[in-house]
Amino acid sequence: MEDLSVEKVAETMYGMVKDYHGKKNLKATDLTKAMIEQFGEACDKQKCKEAIRVIIDDGRCTYSYVGGSYIVLNPDYHPAS
Amino acid sequence: MSAEPLKRKTDIGPPNYQQFLPPIIQENYGQWKYHEILKPGVLVHVSHSGAKLYSVRAATPRLMSIETIRLFADLADEFCGGYLRFTSRNNVEFLVTDETRIDPLIARLRAEGYPVGGTGRSITNIVHTQGWVHCHSAATDASGVVKNVMDELFPHFEAMDLPAKLRIAFACCLNMCGAVHCSDIAILGVHRKPPKINHDALPKTCEIPTTLASCPTGAVRTASVNGKQSVEVIDEQCMYCGNCFTVCPSMSIINAENDGLSIWVGGKVSDARHPPMFSKLAIPFLPNNPPHWPEVVSAVRNIVDVYASHARKFERMGEWIERIGWPNFFKLTGIEFTKFHIDDFTHAGETFARSAQIRQVPA
Amino acid sequence: MTELKHQTPLIDELEKGPWPSFVKEIKKSAKSAAVQDLLGVLERSYEEKRGHWKHGGIVGVHGYGGGVIGRYTDLADEFPGVAEFHTMRINQPSGWFYTSKALRTLSDIWEKHGSGLTNMHGSTGDIVFLGTTTPELEPTFKDLTDAGFDLGGSGSDMRTPSCCCGPARCEWACYDTLNFVYDMTQTYQDELHRPAFPYKFKIKAAGCANDCVAAIARADMSVIGTWRDNIQIDQPAVKEYAESGKLDLQKDVCDRCPTKCMSWNGKALSIDNSNCVKCMHCINAMPKALSPGKDRGATILIGAKAPIIGGALLSSVFVPFIKVEPPYDDFKELIAAIWDLWAENGKNRERVGEFIQRIGLGNFLEQIGLEPIPEMISHPRANPYIFYEA
Repeated sequence: MEDLSVEKVAETMYGMVKDYHGKKNLKATDLTKAMIEQFGEACDKQKCKEAIRVIIDDGRCTYSYVGGSYIVLNPDYHPAS
Repeated sequence: MSAEPLKRKTDIGPPNYQQFLPPIIQENYGQWKYHEILKPGVLVHVSHSGAKLYSVRAATPRLMSIETIRLFADLADEFCGGYLRFTSRNNVEFLVTDETRIDPLIARLRAEGYPVGGTGRSITNIVHTQGWVHCHSAATDASGVVKNVMDELFPHFEAMDLPAKLRIAFACCLNMCGAVHCSDIAILGVHRKPPKINHDALPKTCEIPTTLASCPTGAVRTASVNGKQSVEVIDEQCMYCGNCFTVCPSMSIINAENDGLSIWVGGKVSDARHPPMFSKLAIPFLPNNPPHWPEVVSAVRNIVDVYASHARKFERMGEWIERIGWPNFFKLTGIEFTKFHIDDFTHAGETFARSAQIRQVPA
Repeated sequence: MTELKHQTPLIDELEKGPWPSFVKEIKKSAKSAAVQDLLGVLERSYEEKRGHWKHGGIVGVHGYGGGVIGRYTDLADEFPGVAEFHTMRINQPSGWFYTSKALRTLSDIWEKHGSGLTNMHGSTGDIVFLGTTTPELEPTFKDLTDAGFDLGGSGSDMRTPSCCCGPARCEWACYDTLNFVYDMTQTYQDELHRPAFPYKFKIKAAGCANDCVAAIARADMSVIGTWRDNIQIDQPAVKEYAESGKLDLQKDVCDRCPTKCMSWNGKALSIDNSNCVKCMHCINAMPKALSPGKDRGATILIGAKAPIIGGALLSSVFVPFIKVEPPYDDFKELIAAIWDLWAENGKNRERVGEFIQRIGLGNFLEQIGLEPIPEMISHPRANPYIFYEA
């Protein structure tokens, strides 16, 4: 449990954003709550914060801000194959 | 992404303000003893050390070209060592140490079209929003109304001839990007028709739960239109705030025939004498009448004139109205009182007169 | 002058008159193709009495969720120059102090990358760059950061904090508002750039109760300077005011005091400081004779906002008096406690003030570990519906 990595949290978050795409916009707080629920004590707010930074900085996700700020799939994300 | 990404700096924050402070401020930081208003638009701050700093305050239109910013930079170089600041009400202040430079600077600013004033018991710059220049939900133009109102009230900018300072603020919709709700006079753009829904675009552009939650009165509910998930508005519950439009671009609140302006009075933020107060409704609706908005200009002018001739020294608009009572405010200004003036939102009851203390009018 | 592309007779009317003209300002930047079309769109709005802008919601600089507001005209075919006309918010220096050099740097960057139109400043306090295209956002950001500037906040993040001119140029500043705001801004860069809250959170710092930044009306956390000891009186200077004929000490000063804690006997002014509520009126009236006490600090008030969604609120008292000294740990602990509770339980787009109203101030205090005290209320409850926890 101790060795839950930020990358693992980031990957899980990214999956969640993909699952909800087109259904519900997720806020940073939604993702954080979901991760802590899923991973329990191994996860905390700081780890979630870092994980959000990972999925935003690597371009998989981006912020949208119509009526509040959300973390959404980045339409311009084209990973190098 | 390019193969060689730009080397990016992030999260550096603003530059440290200390590098922008003139030497006289660095030497007298926290050591100011008192200040005086030498004349309209000119303050002198005197330090315990005896040092004197003169601030020359000029109006800007807030919406400014970089050519004007460069002009201000040139004037600052010429008159005060390159040091200047802006105020919370969109004025520019030149920080002068050589007293003999004050009048030449004022003359130059006037010649360039940036008048000096706005200190003490005056009407200073109107804080305002973007309006038709840049905003999606504006019910009117901000800069245009402000320009007309300030042209009309201009003598009060250049003279300190009012009972107390009079703060005017302008917001082009209920979002109120500015402290409109606590101003002596607030001019507020209003919509008066429920949003028009584009049911084709809505499912693609809007998230329905957020849209429902955006409505202060619960007037937006889910609906199925032509087999597509969408929303509908219960018209009787809508008070046209436009918040759903901000959340959902497919619910346009713009309606040229019915959008317009309202006027609010008696708010303040300072704690001097009376605690801060919200502005209260004086005029529920005035039409959009560009380019000069004569109805708005004369309504504001009237309120200023009545206040100026009736309030006592130091009394802000709200303090004056509290002393004379709202019935007298409506009587003196000749503004019609209507059912729209009576609050009917959450804590409306608190605004009802619950006392028989009334200034009765002799028969 | 640059030749103008569109005829604009209506807005040209607003080049006249004594007040500085925003139309002249726009025209000063007319060498930008975007500004040419902005004039056209604005004229159309004046003709039709309606705006022609759409709000976007995704453009920004890489990694940040705030600081850029997407903006597009709905008349892009006719006015392609403003098909994209985004706003950038740039975090202002504390107290809006500048050198001419800094202003030229900003102007040069905006000439290179955008319309050349600005607001000095926006309502929250930022320098506002008005109008550029999506491809220019990242290069503008690079030039800004190279010059030592960074973006401000927008969306559900900590918004750019702002303050009055403070001790830099005001004898009434009861704490160092400039340093406080600089420290808060630097401490919370992540919260400012990466929205992680239910909605916006504003901090405004006013050096005294005159509140030149409207903190009490506009900030989720309003920090307003005050003092605990006695008002400093220079009696000879008081006498000078009385003799000058400009001020009636009884009528203009003593009778205007909200707690009537002052008296004037024709020779000396006396103040019952235990009843002084630090409103600033007497000090405003006689700045040469009176000044705030020496034991200075601030009152922390929480929860102001404009009407949307649940109605406008003024901030209310949380901490009646606190010393405001670096490294501001007490503030940071309080902010952390508030953010923690609000982030976990606040609804989308619910400001702290609305959140407190929903869960109850008593409950809120309990959760963040503050003792309830009578300074926090104007009067105790009058309704007997008490949720006892017996």
